[in-house]
Amino acid sequence: MNVKLKKQLWEKIAQAAAAAGYSSPEEFVEHVLEREVAKIDREEPSEEVLARLKGLGYID
Amino acid sequence: MVPRFPVELAYVGPGAGFAFLGSFLALLAGFFLSLLSLVLWPFRVAWLAVRRRKGYRHAQVKTAIFLGLDGLDPRVTERLMAEGKLPNLARLAAEGSYTRLRTTYPALSPVAWSTFATGVSPAKHNIFDFLDRSLKNYLPQLSSARVGKPEHVLRLGRLRIPLSAVLIDLRRKSQPFWKILGRHGIGCTILRVPITFPPEKFDGRLLSAMCTPDLKGTQGSFSQFTTRVERAVYENGDRFPLRRVDGGFAGEIEGPGDTFLEGAPTLRIPFLVVPRHGAFELRLAGRSVRLTPGEYTAWQRLRFRTAIGAAASGMVRFLVTETEPEFSLYMTPINIDPERPALPISHPPYYAAYLANLLGTYATVGMAEDTWALNEGAIDEDAFLRQAWDIFAERERMFLNALENTRRGVVACVFDTSDRLQHMFYRRLGTADRHAGAIEEMYRRMDALVGRAMTFVNRRAALFVLSDHGFCAFRRSVNLNAWLRDNGYLQLENGDRESGSFFEGVDWSRTRAYALGLGGFYLNLKGREAQGTVETAAADRLKAEIAGKLAALRDDDGSTPIRNVYATASLYRGPYLDAAPDFIVGYNEGYRCSWEGAVGKVSAQVIEDNPKAWSGDHCVDPVLVPGVLFSNRKIGAADPGIEDLAPTALKLFGIEPPAWMEGTALL
Repeated sequence: MNVKLKKQLWEKIAQAAAAAGYSSPEEFVEHVLEREVAKIDREEPSEEVLARLKGLGYID
Repeated sequence: MVPRFPVELAYVGPGAGFAFLGSFLALLAGFFLSLLSLVLWPFRVAWLAVRRRKGYRHAQVKTAIFLGLDGLDPRVTERLMAEGKLPNLARLAAEGSYTRLRTTYPALSPVAWSTFATGVSPAKHNIFDFLDRSLKNYLPQLSSARVGKPEHVLRLGRLRIPLSAVLIDLRRKSQPFWKILGRHGIGCTILRVPITFPPEKFDGRLLSAMCTPDLKGTQGSFSQFTTRVERAVYENGDRFPLRRVDGGFAGEIEGPGDTFLEGAPTLRIPFLVVPRHGAFELRLAGRSVRLTPGEYTAWQRLRFRTAIGAAASGMVRFLVTETEPEFSLYMTPINIDPERPALPISHPPYYAAYLANLLGTYATVGMAEDTWALNEGAIDEDAFLRQAWDIFAERERMFLNALENTRRGVVACVFDTSDRLQHMFYRRLGTADRHAGAIEEMYRRMDALVGRAMTFVNRRAALFVLSDHGFCAFRRSVNLNAWLRDNGYLQLENGDRESGSFFEGVDWSRTRAYALGLGGFYLNLKGREAQGTVETAAADRLKAEIAGKLAALRDDDGSTPIRNVYATASLYRGPYLDAAPDFIVGYNEGYRCSWEGAVGKVSAQVIEDNPKAWSGDHCVDPVLVPGVLFSNRKIGAADPGIEDLAPTALKLFGIEPPAWMEGTALL
């Protein structure tokens, strides 16, 4: 999936990503968008989330 | 304790539906891609040759080998080397280097191996623990991967046909060194390095490891079939009844849910066990398997057929654990079949099948050694050891095959046997038990493995043998949530003293801190947590207050369970720091966070005995459990850390480590 951004914005994103310690501007953009989407994202049913942990050796 | 769910909820992964759609699309795409690749083959070979020659131009070595021995402890290693019991590691140390290797905070495999891969701290790779939490409802979730459901589903009566792809998301961020090497034309084979599920695309080969689910979507749920009782649910497995029928026993294997049907009813495979020639015969799905008491069967393929005829394929091994007067049969978790994977477990996708065809099939679930079956008594220590060493043999075949076939490039492989055996046999150390030597024997066998790897090492090769952390005893457990309750930081509804798992009964409107996972705990911060109570301005003062009080905690005999409380913000800087626990707790040797506290249960007691077979651990102050690092090269660094290996790998091939990497090349 491609999203078009203005060149100047992309350059600023690249600078901000490097300053923050991201490994690439793409990682920075993805993180920012994920954080925003998480605010409106639907929660999965808790039983299903918890059942996925079953069998993990370190927890009961 | 994981709550008991109705059977139909046991399947939580995409499993069967994904397997069918995936298989069909893969077949179609595979046909066209094969045609295309035939046409393009000469051009690709020429281009790769040019690219690789360029990639290796500044390389100091032809090959670099990273042999990971999870949990190999420096104190034990140094003692056994001094006693002459680890000749290969001793030779490697004498001719090259040996040093203790600083681990991550917390000293946990998913955290430390992610740092190994990326050369960055957890605040830059986003893995702080096995678990993280939902900020909306405080529930724990696996930190490393998310497996979702299709967004769009066509409903036809009871049928449910997925119309969109399943979201499978790796939560580990930043970039592993093998991805950077691949871009420079350096070939890498990455075998079972933790936190590689789902596999990332890169120019190389990779087999996923820790946190790869089983076919049911869990982290590995065993089954026990027995005439002893009716249906029961273990902590992390299930017990199913066997019915006595004419001349044998009848039972049913429960697989994943049929996602093509409303409610995803559990898919089942009936079976029959009959006595035969002094042993038993297992009859299922039209075939017979010999069952010899006390001996594992070879891997058996199970095909769970859905309502529309598609099948999800898994692999299991069986073991008869008792025959008279009762009969019991243990079955491993249903591993994803590497030849017909229901979820992607390798890159390229065919690599898992290639390995299975070449070397025989193998365990694929993340934590393949069934520690819970031993904890719950479904198998005994001998059976656990056989299983663990069988998995080791599978891994060794892959590793040696990769070494044989790598003329240039990187081979990285992590063995888990060292970790699992120390978890389960620590309580036998120094006793008269016949398994008292199980851990020492494991160190000797790891040394023999190193010896075999060394036969592939010449002056143009670099070998690194490393562990992600050490080990110590786990005798007493600390329930941080109970301590937070006793000190007024966590409040329960109705004045209760105990909660259910997953914070059931916690009054969030009056709670200022809570613990989840193995490494640390969190403030209930306003603007971050959904029901946060702590103002940001008050957070630092509260942090200092809690850390000070917690350090003063004493056990019944006056011992100090907690050696240090680290404010995570003082340890790390990076874009994912917000997701970290606010504190990382450095337990003293002999202590760990409690089983129940790790999943958000507030128990009556703060400190209790650890009664489980799982009696060794490393979730302590990371200062106490560094790993080991051996190399055939001279390592000059004074305080090497696990973050230094990734930049070292790049430097060996003449690539300058990127600015975002925090480690320093060791050579």
